[in-house]
Amino acid sequence: MLVDAIRAEGFRLSKNKTALFWSLAFVPIISVAIGALTNFVLKGSETKLLGDTKMPPEVREALTRGTLDMGEALVQAAAGLANPLVLLFVLIGAATLYAGDYRWETWRLISARNSRVNLLLAKLAVVAVLALAAMGFMLVASVIENLIKAAVFDRTLAFSLTGEMAGHFLGFVGLSWLRILQFAMMGMLAAVVTRSLLAALFVPLVFGIAQFFTPNPLMQMGVMPDAWLAVLLNPGAATDAIQAAIAGGERAAALPDGLLLKAWVSVGLWTLVPLAGALAWFRRQDLSKE
Amino acid sequence: MTAVIEARGLTKTYGTVRALDGLDLSIPRGGVYGVLGPNGAGKSTLFRILLGLIRPTDGTATIMNGPVGDIAHMRLTGSMIETPRYPPYLTARQVLRWLALEHGIAGTADIPYWLERVGLSEAADRKVRGFSVGMMQRLGVAAALISKPELIILDEPTSGMDPPGIQEMRALIRSLANDDGLTVVLASHQLLEVQRVCDRVAILNKGKLVREGAVSELTAVGERLRLSAGPVDQVLAVLGARGVRDGDAVLADIPRTEGPALIRALVEAGVEISEARWVGTDLEAIFFTETGAVQAPETIHAG
Repeated sequence: MLVDAIRAEGFRLSKNKTALFWSLAFVPIISVAIGALTNFVLKGSETKLLGDTKMPPEVREALTRGTLDMGEALVQAAAGLANPLVLLFVLIGAATLYAGDYRWETWRLISARNSRVNLLLAKLAVVAVLALAAMGFMLVASVIENLIKAAVFDRTLAFSLTGEMAGHFLGFVGLSWLRILQFAMMGMLAAVVTRSLLAALFVPLVFGIAQFFTPNPLMQMGVMPDAWLAVLLNPGAATDAIQAAIAGGERAAALPDGLLLKAWVSVGLWTLVPLAGALAWFRRQDLSKE
Repeated sequence: MTAVIEARGLTKTYGTVRALDGLDLSIPRGGVYGVLGPNGAGKSTLFRILLGLIRPTDGTATIMNGPVGDIAHMRLTGSMIETPRYPPYLTARQVLRWLALEHGIAGTADIPYWLERVGLSEAADRKVRGFSVGMMQRLGVAAALISKPELIILDEPTSGMDPPGIQEMRALIRSLANDDGLTVVLASHQLLEVQRVCDRVAILNKGKLVREGAVSELTAVGERLRLSAGPVDQVLAVLGARGVRDGDAVLADIPRTEGPALIRALVEAGVEISEARWVGTDLEAIFFTETGAVQAPETIHAG
């Protein structure tokens, strides 16, 4: 049963402290450390910075504003949860899960105990939980970072989360999660096809980087950024469009007509096609060294 | 006799290599069944097909009366294919817990029992990255047994073990068949071990079945009574053409039923008998005959 496979996979990951550290703890720790260091440096230069007449007014306001709204900070943090650093380190854990059974030749131990589809879906389910946990840790890191900021700059803390802000927060978290899963499914396909941990890690990263370079050549070919082909080839831009729609306001209003539908189709295809490919390949795969 | 494994025309090719070549094999329920063959005979390929790890190029196979790959039937089977490897960060106990969960077994009560049964109780909480090959083999057997299967398939279960370990493993395998009622199917290169532990054997060569039968029947062919008795000339006189000198002893080419009468006749003739035992063709000799493999001089012995 699928639930058995998920429990087994979850149990195994829970014992892999190295993968858990790198996937869950490393980026938040670094994030808090860098955030704290930045705040201390800014505090040290505060007098000099505030005396700078050329400083943009919004930066001046950010430095001198008396209240730090944690609700607002959380919504901002949620919008950036699927950043490349989080993605990279979640993919390290995901690659271990996907390719570990090839590496240790443990498929032969477990493939007779559960169906192949269940075994692979269980890995995906555990990666999905891992991604959620990594995002949770990043949000906690954001809270800690802001608490340090408040302490360093003697700010008053406030927490306001209106219904609209809560909607934005949940929307951003959900979209970030989907974005991470999209890459995780590419990693799964790469792991199944190549049986390699490195491929499971780097193939999705290369795809991610390649996306940033697709708009320019497409433009030169006369394909506009909101055309079907451009959106389908660039799920990153599709995600940005959906995020703008969630954020509302001017960003949402600026979206070209019909782009949102194309964006959802792009995100859906980039999520489901690698999954279907991995499952189909794995069902037919010979699990031996020959 | 109910079969736990049936293979019909089973063929597996890797490019131009035919690992299995139309293999027909039926393995009965109960006892210990040995699958023998030189390297490349197709033993591991057969096991991998039976466990659904690879697909046959042609032919069919059933395991526990169900098609290969059918999880409901596969769950009645435990297996260890070659020297098992495990995620190095797990302890022996955690390996069994993980595999039990994969099998839908939530409880952990049986884990200490199986660890003790394979002699790993003291190493239960050590990470497997520090295990020797022999310890991995033992853990592999425990992992195969954790789901309480009816059939257990073991590929080279004594590989990498020291002599006491081999003896313990042999006793465990016999006990699984005799006391637990399991059917054990094993592949091994250690022919003497197979002869000691197996009830039936199949000899594969180049992907085909070349010999199959009960070990007792196979080795009974050419069976002779070896007599350490003297004077030897008197023994040979009693036996006539049915006797042949074998060093200080005599080999009597007679059926088992005539054994007691011969002993009586020898005693009446004044022969002093210090030892009398039946010697057959050992499995090793059969193996080399059937597979055409070259037998090293030091491995030839009368049995």
